[in-house]
Amino acid sequence: MTSASVILELRGIRKDFGALAAVDGIDLAIAEGEFFTIVGPSGSGKTTLLRMLAGMEQPSSGDILLRGRRINDLPANRRPTCMVFQSLALFPHRTVGENIEFSLKIRGVSKVERRQRAHGLMRLLRLPEELYGKNVTKCSGGERQRVALARALAYDPEILFFDEPLSAIDYKLRKTLEKELKDIHRETGKTFVYITHSLEEAMVMSDRIGVMRQGRLVQVGTPNEIYVTPNNKFVSEFIGDVNVFPVEVAGPGRLRSSAIAGEFTAPKLPSGFSKGHLVIRPEYLRFLADPSGAENSLKGRLYNEYALGSRFQYQVRVGDQVFVVEKLRQQAYGGRLDDDVVIGWDARDSILVTD
Amino acid sequence: MNPARRRRAVHALITAWTLAVVVFIYLPGATLALASLTSTRYFGFPIVKWGLDWWRKTFNSIEIHQLLEVSVKIAFIVMVVSVAIAFFGALAFARYDWRGRSIYQKLVLLPIFFPQSVLGLALLLWFNTLGLDLSWKTAVFAHLIWVVPVATLVISIQVYSFDPTLEEAAFDLGATRWQVLREVTLPVLLPGIVSGCLFSFLLSWGNFPLSLFTTGADSTVPEYLYAKMVVGYTPGVPVLGTVSTIGAVVILLGGYGLILMLRRSRDRRGTL
Repeated sequence: MTSASVILELRGIRKDFGALAAVDGIDLAIAEGEFFTIVGPSGSGKTTLLRMLAGMEQPSSGDILLRGRRINDLPANRRPTCMVFQSLALFPHRTVGENIEFSLKIRGVSKVERRQRAHGLMRLLRLPEELYGKNVTKCSGGERQRVALARALAYDPEILFFDEPLSAIDYKLRKTLEKELKDIHRETGKTFVYITHSLEEAMVMSDRIGVMRQGRLVQVGTPNEIYVTPNNKFVSEFIGDVNVFPVEVAGPGRLRSSAIAGEFTAPKLPSGFSKGHLVIRPEYLRFLADPSGAENSLKGRLYNEYALGSRFQYQVRVGDQVFVVEKLRQQAYGGRLDDDVVIGWDARDSILVTD
Repeated sequence: MNPARRRRAVHALITAWTLAVVVFIYLPGATLALASLTSTRYFGFPIVKWGLDWWRKTFNSIEIHQLLEVSVKIAFIVMVVSVAIAFFGALAFARYDWRGRSIYQKLVLLPIFFPQSVLGLALLLWFNTLGLDLSWKTAVFAHLIWVVPVATLVISIQVYSFDPTLEEAAFDLGATRWQVLREVTLPVLLPGIVSGCLFSFLLSWGNFPLSLFTTGADSTVPEYLYAKMVVGYTPGVPVLGTVSTIGAVVILLGGYGLILMLRRSRDRRGTL
């Protein structure tokens, strides 16, 4: 990324609340027009970070630069950025139109022009025109999301911040809105900075993802990089069901585990690696009829199976260790519960991570 | 008894009990109105001779006009000042988290529980010490001490249901602090402010113990009623009592109507 395309830069951002560092030194550069998502569990400091970026909190130390200009001390109402809140914070005493036009009215834009802009944004967000004069409290969940986004876009911000606006929405609508948001991002070409606790949500929408833990960014990369090459155990587990067990180097290209008997073939060892965790995604595990040709295999017992729509998930117990295997519906395992099974994987499909 | 009949019986009993309570509470007020409709000099029941003589006399009396004027003046000023103080007090009470808030919350409500006559006496001594002449103005001050906490509590109830991110959102959309207050905070809290006004006005309007000690030569309606009960009763007393009560009811209904109207204008826009 060239420095010319950087719109927002964070240099050593910290936020301390008493003895607690909510944000513990973050360096990051976000590119113009990028959809950047910060993912982390609750308490990881992501909301505090976003509030500093939006100007609602001041960093304890470090600098925030917008196009190279330091904006630490610029209050939220004078920053060319706008936030879509988790609660959406729609003004309950106002209509949809008045909500969308709020920032324009504040700026003294004429009534006719305000109305035009509002209608344009409502078309962009596929909000029916008759909603214009309706009170926001009478709108459905999906409509309210779109009104909140329209209100933020009406401000014509250079960067839009999103504080988990979809977290309170049911699964099906959330999936629709995620895609819609990504479409809006394409259509407007604006920079989006989004926070969520769901890596799955982040994957769908983002150009790049930053995974946050205990006030720090533990990995920044494209969704594909995060998925394929997580650089530590926390990130690999954050993605969802995944098989992780502790390993140490047993010899050249060989691994040993304290949790499971036997040795395994290692994927390419990171330099200096001696001890860590082996990660195997559930879709890379196979049921083996004949274990002889496999690089790695384990004997276990099929404990349970779960239907996940397009896929089936199986719980296989190897000693005390639980393994999760996933198969497409067409390739479902035909056996019975409590069958003795052999599962295996190719070394190149496994990932070594540090703690 | 079969279950359906049993249910009906229980229902009837509850209805009867509720009616009895309502009658018990509101009948004295009605009696007061009846007592004012006599043409005789003294109170007696049943009414021997009906008439509106005392209503006429009361409305023609300059003294009564003055009483009403003083009472309205005090109540109005108390309403305006206490709601102004209570609005910001309620924000501190319920909107902001700050060190000492929990002590403030207790301290600010304490005056409600002072025995009012003791508070009145204390204020009387205090005004004397300061060398202030007692008049309706000192009564305004006395009323405020008792009314502001109540108004703060009433408005706080509305503030508790206020989502502070609304203010942040408005600020983030470019509004100044003042615009946030005018465009978001005040309108959203308006129903609470109207309730605060009603409480302030009516509590001051009906207050007797504080006025008794602090109005000096001026007199409010409740004071006059009390004085006339002690010495020199005429059916003018129930007339004024009825007027005072009806006035309070009208204001209460008016305020309630205003809140309804605010809500409905919101809803009406909703069906456009």
